[in-house]
Amino acid sequence: MREKFSTKFWLLIVAILTAMVLAACSGGDDEGGGDETTEGNGEGITAWAWDPNFNIAALELALEHYDNEDFEMEIIENAQDDIVQRLNTGLSSGTMNGMPNIVLIEDQRAQSFLQSYPDAFYPIGDYFNTEDFAEYKIAPTSFDGEQYGLPFDTGVTGFFYRTDYLEEAGYTHDDLVDITWNEYVEIAKDVKEKTGQAMLSLDPNDLGILRVMMQTTGTWYTTEDGTIQLEGNEPLQMALENYKELMDNDVVKLNSDWSQYLEAFNSGDVASVPAGNWIAPSVEAEESQAGLWRVAPTPRLDMEGAVNASNQGGSSFYVLNIDGKEEAAEFLGETFGSNVEFYQDLVQEVGALGTYIPASEGDAYQFENEFFNNQQVVYDFSQWMEEIPQVDYGMNTYGIEDILSAEIQQYLDGKSLEDVLSDAQTQAENQFK
Amino acid sequence: MKKLKRVFTYLFLSVAAIVSIFPFLWMLVSMTNKSVDVTAGRLIPGTHFIQNLNNLLDQTQIGTALWNSFLIAVITTVLTLLIGSLAGYGFEIYRSKGKDIVFNILILSMMIPFAAIMIPLYRLFGQISADAPLIGLDTLAAAFLPTIITAFFIFFFRQNTKMFARELVEAGRIDGLSEWGIFFRIYMPTMKTTYAAAAIIAFMNSWNNYLWPLVVLQSPEKQTIPLLISNLGAGYTPDYGVIMTAIVIATLPTALVFFLMQRHFVAGMMGSVKG
Amino acid sequence: MSQASSPTHQRTFAQRLRKNYIGWLFIILSVLGISLFYFYPMVQAFLLSLQSGMGSSLEYVGFDNYVRLFNDPTFITALTNTILYLLIQVPVMIVLALVFSVLLNDPTLKFKGFFRTAIFLPAVTSLVAYAVIFKYLFGNDGLVNDFLLGMNIISSPIAWLSDPFWAKITIIIAITWRWTGYNMIFYLSALQNVDKSMYEAARIDGASAMQQFFFITIPLLKPIILFTSIVSTIGTLQLFDEVMNITSGGPGNSTMTISMYIYNLSFEYTPDFGYAATVSYVILILVVILSFIQFRVAGDRD
Repeated sequence: MREKFSTKFWLLIVAILTAMVLAACSGGDDEGGGDETTEGNGEGITAWAWDPNFNIAALELALEHYDNEDFEMEIIENAQDDIVQRLNTGLSSGTMNGMPNIVLIEDQRAQSFLQSYPDAFYPIGDYFNTEDFAEYKIAPTSFDGEQYGLPFDTGVTGFFYRTDYLEEAGYTHDDLVDITWNEYVEIAKDVKEKTGQAMLSLDPNDLGILRVMMQTTGTWYTTEDGTIQLEGNEPLQMALENYKELMDNDVVKLNSDWSQYLEAFNSGDVASVPAGNWIAPSVEAEESQAGLWRVAPTPRLDMEGAVNASNQGGSSFYVLNIDGKEEAAEFLGETFGSNVEFYQDLVQEVGALGTYIPASEGDAYQFENEFFNNQQVVYDFSQWMEEIPQVDYGMNTYGIEDILSAEIQQYLDGKSLEDVLSDAQTQAENQFK
Repeated sequence: MKKLKRVFTYLFLSVAAIVSIFPFLWMLVSMTNKSVDVTAGRLIPGTHFIQNLNNLLDQTQIGTALWNSFLIAVITTVLTLLIGSLAGYGFEIYRSKGKDIVFNILILSMMIPFAAIMIPLYRLFGQISADAPLIGLDTLAAAFLPTIITAFFIFFFRQNTKMFARELVEAGRIDGLSEWGIFFRIYMPTMKTTYAAAAIIAFMNSWNNYLWPLVVLQSPEKQTIPLLISNLGAGYTPDYGVIMTAIVIATLPTALVFFLMQRHFVAGMMGSVKG
Repeated sequence: MSQASSPTHQRTFAQRLRKNYIGWLFIILSVLGISLFYFYPMVQAFLLSLQSGMGSSLEYVGFDNYVRLFNDPTFITALTNTILYLLIQVPVMIVLALVFSVLLNDPTLKFKGFFRTAIFLPAVTSLVAYAVIFKYLFGNDGLVNDFLLGMNIISSPIAWLSDPFWAKITIIIAITWRWTGYNMIFYLSALQNVDKSMYEAARIDGASAMQQFFFITIPLLKPIILFTSIVSTIGTLQLFDEVMNITSGGPGNSTMTISMYIYNLSFEYTPDFGYAATVSYVILILVVILSFIQFRVAGDRD
């Protein structure tokens, strides 16, 4: 048995290993060297974003539209969660080595980055005109009077619905325009009764729908100065009541995963999808349903001052305060910040809807989409977008929501709404003082 | 009675095997379907495999990612086994009060969640980068260095060394072998199955390692397989057919390593056990 | 040592010293490596646990973070859930893995390679795929409910993922499913190092298979059982992947674990690395206590 590992065998192992270690290190050498030069003279900008068909494609398109021969940019694809982890790790360790020049950050997360790492980002307010952008995008992308983000895509929401199911239940398009969430709930019950279909699909772990409802009134979990307002927050209360009505009346098809959410409408199991405009490509993925869908404005909460427009998701570009920041900011300003032509191509080629207002008068926005019954979907969305009430997402949206979701569980089980909100308020204040 | 027990054993193992293998079969089937069919939970093989594979090859650098993961995994496995077994052997065969204390302290390092030490570790590699860019941030070496010396494998080898017949060490000494000779020429060959098990685990850990490579490897040419899969699932409209194809490709190497290594787990070299 | 004056003793003493010295050489690389890559960051993490604030603007607050733990309902829930997983899941998994390894160690068994690979397969399956599939299987109208309803075991579908109690059960099933095969490897390999003649002798003495299992296999595998118990305890206390991918801690935070909470504090919420480090040290303390108990119970000190 002792002869099992012969000397030759060992030599082989050592040789292979040495070769591999060398390969691993020299691979690192090439890149390490390259990185240092890029940081030294500001050439070779890097950008991090997620979703190759959407954000990455948008960046590539912007690069095509940018007239600057000297400008080189490497676009690196990273999942959104991965970007969050990498940025946090890099910025908190103070090691800026390897950080990108441009990074895409979701609007609802932006404040927590801007406030946690005050010197890490470069103000870019001088590179474009903030007034050209949908107003609701400005609060989340600025901090302390400085503009840090260049607003990118909108998460403007719509009420996607199946014309056949709704007709069967006795509703025309006009009946669905500018309705309230109370009316939506009633329609849902009708649809269930007359067609047997659920109205929408929800993941009980994702409270996105509550935020959509709440934002129609311009309210959030926190006030502008960051005070937590759950207790006595009337829009939130009303949103929760509507949410419970939906849950209690068996009009919701529950899902527990994104793939199941997609399946719910692709397989025709739900009559509507109230969601951000970015869901459209997923709806269109089921080609057999062409012509069966339309989009109405988002329902509003039944309160004074509420509008039929809201938002779900959406992100903006940020420039890190490292070498190359001016070049990066200039690039963003010249493309995303002011190029109407670019936005036409963006809609046509990528299907991404920006928040740059002058773009909506262009031809590409008037496109009639056959899948949605020849509706001018893009134009409609761009009009609703301008109406979205501005809210300051603050720093604690996701933290508060985790606390709230535990309490909502009890609310659905019968705990009173007042207790639910006041308990959540106490917990949230404890945690985020 | 014996027959009946046999039948029962096969039945039990078959049920366990089916339960274990079912999701994998589902993946194999999904690999051949369109995204819409995958999300609909279709269990019948489709004809979309070539399309999925082409999309995967178009959209990603899966070849590079496989090579990076492979390179890191092989180096990690060999070094982990060597360093871990040396220490495990050292702690058990040359046991002393002092070494026991050191051992207990080393074990502590397994007990803290990696997320807690990640940022300080990252800062450390940031500092190393300045002096030794070859093993600093964004090198494959940085991705495997902290994982090749772990208390886990020291502990594992030490526990297995407890089952190693000490007489073999004494016999080696009488034969005039050096202490190192005993380790390399007696211990290693005798503990073949222990090394096989450790190789499976080390390879698998490295192959699936996510958080550390994520933060330390920044350029896309250094992407590893788990990062690639994470990117695939991150779009607003993920293509589940492509994701499943990537995952099957990513699973095969570890499954293969296991299948090859488990053959070393052969009982009955010194007589057989009948159930 | 008192007789160290005689020449022979002196020689053995010198030999022992030399062996002791060689022994240190065997372990020195590991000691240095672990100190650099683990202990140095751990010390930093401890210093971090005495600080609070968001992102990079931290200030020293002494032991405030440790006090804050006791008034943090999310932490208490996470701790309770984690301990519950630990108490139920680890013993079940260890026993299952032992049973599998003994069955699959039988040289007369056919298709051993297939069975072993099949049972190990869950451990290598990418979590992304496995989470998607698991959620299908355990959905309200998923295959598991269909099966149970069809067999008349239950009369209405179980809310595997959206009910706080059943969601915990689903997580326990998921971890057991994924890690049993993994633990089986340790036993399978260790069984090869067991002297087969002991079984021969036992059989001649008329011991049944059960008796052989309890009086030979278990005592011989004791070091490995101890190893897997401690490793699984650590693994469960640091449980993150399954929860993150299958339930995201929900419904509410009824499946939240300590590690998931650490992740949320660091990356999901506005980062508070100080408090996150504090929570990490709680895991460390818990594992130290539990491992100490396990070492004692296993009697490894002799």
